[in-house]
Amino acid sequence: MSDGDPLLRLDGVRAGYGETQVLDGVSLDVNRGETVALIGRNGVGKTTTLRTILGAVTPTAGTVRYDGEDVTGLGPIETVRRGVGLVPEERRVFPGLTVEENLAVGRYGGSETANRRDPEEVLETFENLGRRRRSRGTDLSGGEQQMLAIGRALVAGADLLLLDEPTEGLAPLIVDRVSELIREINEEGITVLLVEQNVAVALSLADRVYILDRGRVVFEGAPAELEANESVMERHLGVTV
Amino acid sequence: MSAATTLLEQVLNGLTIGMVYVLLAAGLSIIFGVMDVINFAHGEFFALGAYVGLSVALATGSGGFWVALLVAPLLVGLVGAGVERFTIRPLYGRNPLYHILLTFGLVLIFKDVITLIWGQQPYQFAKPPLLSGTVTLFGFDYALYSYFVIGIGALIALGTWLALTRTRYGLVIRAGSMDRDMVRYLGIDIDRYYTIVFAFGAMLAAVGGVVLAGRQNVAPGMGNAVIIPAFIVVVLGGLGSFRGAVVGGLLIGVIQTFVRSQFPFLEGLAVFLLMIAVLLLRPQGLFGNPEWGTGGEGGDLLTAGDADVFDSALKRRIGVGLVGVLAVTPLLIGLPSYYVNTLVVNILIWALFALSLDFVMGYAGLVSLGHVLFYGVGAYATVLAVMHLVPSLFVALAVGIAVSAVIAWVVGYLSIRVSGVYFSMITLAFAELFFSAVFKLEWAGSSDGLFGFDPVYGLFAGPSVGSIELVGGVSVFYYVVLAAVVGSYLLARQVMRAPFGSVLQAIRESELRTGFIGYDVTVYKRRAFVVSGGLAGLAGGLAAVQTGGVSPEFLAWIRSGEVIVMTILGGMGTLYGPMLGAGVYLVSKELLLGITEQWQGVLGLIFVLFVIFVPRGLVSLPGLLAGRFDRSPGGGTDVLAEEETEVTD
Ligand SMILES: Nc1ncnc2c1ncn2[C@@H]1O[C@H](COP(=O)(O)OP(=O)(O)OP(=O)(O)O)[C@@H](O)[C@H]1O
Ligand SMILES: [Mg+2]
Repeated sequence: MSDGDPLLRLDGVRAGYGETQVLDGVSLDVNRGETVALIGRNGVGKTTTLRTILGAVTPTAGTVRYDGEDVTGLGPIETVRRGVGLVPEERRVFPGLTVEENLAVGRYGGSETANRRDPEEVLETFENLGRRRRSRGTDLSGGEQQMLAIGRALVAGADLLLLDEPTEGLAPLIVDRVSELIREINEEGITVLLVEQNVAVALSLADRVYILDRGRVVFEGAPAELEANESVMERHLGVTV
Repeated sequence: MSAATTLLEQVLNGLTIGMVYVLLAAGLSIIFGVMDVINFAHGEFFALGAYVGLSVALATGSGGFWVALLVAPLLVGLVGAGVERFTIRPLYGRNPLYHILLTFGLVLIFKDVITLIWGQQPYQFAKPPLLSGTVTLFGFDYALYSYFVIGIGALIALGTWLALTRTRYGLVIRAGSMDRDMVRYLGIDIDRYYTIVFAFGAMLAAVGGVVLAGRQNVAPGMGNAVIIPAFIVVVLGGLGSFRGAVVGGLLIGVIQTFVRSQFPFLEGLAVFLLMIAVLLLRPQGLFGNPEWGTGGEGGDLLTAGDADVFDSALKRRIGVGLVGVLAVTPLLIGLPSYYVNTLVVNILIWALFALSLDFVMGYAGLVSLGHVLFYGVGAYATVLAVMHLVPSLFVALAVGIAVSAVIAWVVGYLSIRVSGVYFSMITLAFAELFFSAVFKLEWAGSSDGLFGFDPVYGLFAGPSVGSIELVGGVSVFYYVVLAAVVGSYLLARQVMRAPFGSVLQAIRESELRTGFIGYDVTVYKRRAFVVSGGLAGLAGGLAAVQTGGVSPEFLAWIRSGEVIVMTILGGMGTLYGPMLGAGVYLVSKELLLGITEQWQGVLGLIFVLFVIFVPRGLVSLPGLLAGRFDRSPGGGTDVLAEEETEVTD
């Protein structure tokens, strides 16, 4: 294993739920220190890709390698203990626990990586969370919940952060705050794999972009390349720039 | 005594028993919150605590009570850990129904183990001298022991609360009760906490058993007596809420005591009315939050429909053959007519009852824990009709069917809108409400029941020519029952083949999807419930005629349990499976009765093994043996496969 190897490599991954196949041979790389965006229309399998990386879905074919090792089928607990962190769709903050307690659960789990943050550190850097440390998860605004979900993954010691639509349903001002936060996190050395519906946010943050369509990777390249390629944007994302 | 001191005394009495409920309900509720397990065997941990405490106290002589208070919970906790590890654990990921079934089997086993070791006779547990007598506080005399119970209960509740809120284990357990998978996604192996939680719950129950033993007799039925109130507490407080268990326990204790002295005619009814009201108006209870935890969704009911390997022509031939054999049985063999008149008739009646349950559980996914209600109501209505209305058995049975169907409509109307576990709980509550109510009703015979009506039309004699009995002493009633059961089966089959049946099965597969297609899911379920209630009523009516009367026993919840056991044993989702289950259950019971007094325990054991290894029932056995059918999809061994199906994004 050398630093030149990608931190994460998916190779021909097929996966699904019971009878329905969702991923039809997905291959992608995420290098150390990168921010990679995975975009695509509704229901093409973005979340399933993240769940497969985490080990919550077991692929029927193909391999997932993390940090040079085969982690296919290890399951979420072991995968997380190796340094993968998930900020799931809908955030899934523990609703009845306070902000502090949510972070503490992350502290008890996760892995002892160099990137592992202290709950206090998170409460200081995410100053609006610091102000609400004793509020329950349910009582937070959408933006605060998103911050907390990200903070919880940092406290769990993620080296590779899987973010599933972190800006969904947030007001424009908050979207900017969250994207700024993601940029900072990446600058501090955490590798990011970002799933986004908001193409503008994805392109502004990412070093490289993958487009997923019906379970296959149909585009890979730099954001600028994608912006220049209107036909791809239209065909696979349904957006005109 | 002044009114104020009477009131004070009642409140203290209520708090004393309430504390015992708290000790029971706390474990029950946390166990449900964290692992979605509804543990019917929790009352047996309580009883086991009392018995083990008793033995420990006897063995250690003076000061034995204190040793017992320490040692018994630890031993029972160990038992709890074993129970979780070896029986509960294989079922994670399945529908919560299977845990209900499993723990029901465990109840049977525990009960028999207890009577095997300690016998049937009640024991007196000597209170330590230190805690005897009364104390005077503020000029008011009251039993010291009650203060002790309240004190120790409060202490333990406080300790549990601190453990849940201030320790790492507690935090993870609380997080797990809100979102188990998210806890896993943080790299925490939540499954490892389950054993601890379960053992801890068993320990609390055992403490409750020991302290209550100082106040009343230790007897085999004590677990059975507390489990239903404990469920009420948990539902009232909110499934999965510790705070709810504490407040609910004390509240129920006080309400029960208060109602007993002020409104004796409501005793036993009030708490069930309260439980029903809470479930209808606020299903999540006082402190539960509907958004936390799952409310027990997830995991399919494993029906036998797709597991059965015989083609329909063969099945028809077997069925017709069986009915033929049953029809001529009395003529053929030297079988003592006793067997035909009692055992075979019983089997037929229970087969009908199981069929009625399967109609809603196996086909519409409605897990009714109180199906005995319709059976019992049918029995009472039939007997009352014969006694007061018409001297015709057939009209009386029709009255029984009609009354049961109406009650089923009312219960269904109220309860079908609440889903999953809550539906099961509310049906249980309704059944218990009626059970308690018949004791109060003079015209329903109170606790004695109604006996001694005229066996109509000479049904209980065999047909005869002169003095020659035609079918060897087998009564005409046998044929009435046979005809009723075969007729009901054919009716049910017809209904299930009609579009109505297809919609029901679509509902069981996916309620949401069926709703999207445009069917009013609730209406279909309600109709199925009415049909099922009517069939159960017929079974009850026949059983009453067979027994020669009716008593509150006909409404006891244990019968709901038994009919569920039969249905699962045979294989729900096939109409004949549960009927087969009834036969196998009753024949096994008959055979075991001849061999051992512990027949319930043996049956419980068989049942537990079935739930774990053959969840689709007997009818799936041929396929299973032929290796054609997967043992238990999502049956807990393959955690990952199970998660794939559980998660909804
Ligand atoms: N638990 C599940 N069981 C069965 N099918 C599922 C499950 N989760 C997702 N699917 C199906 O798999 C397909 C891909 O879903 P996935 O959530 O991966 O898509 P997505 O790209 O994340 O979509 P979105 O943009 O809506 O989040 C969809 O058709 C979805 O209906
Ligand atoms: Mg998604």
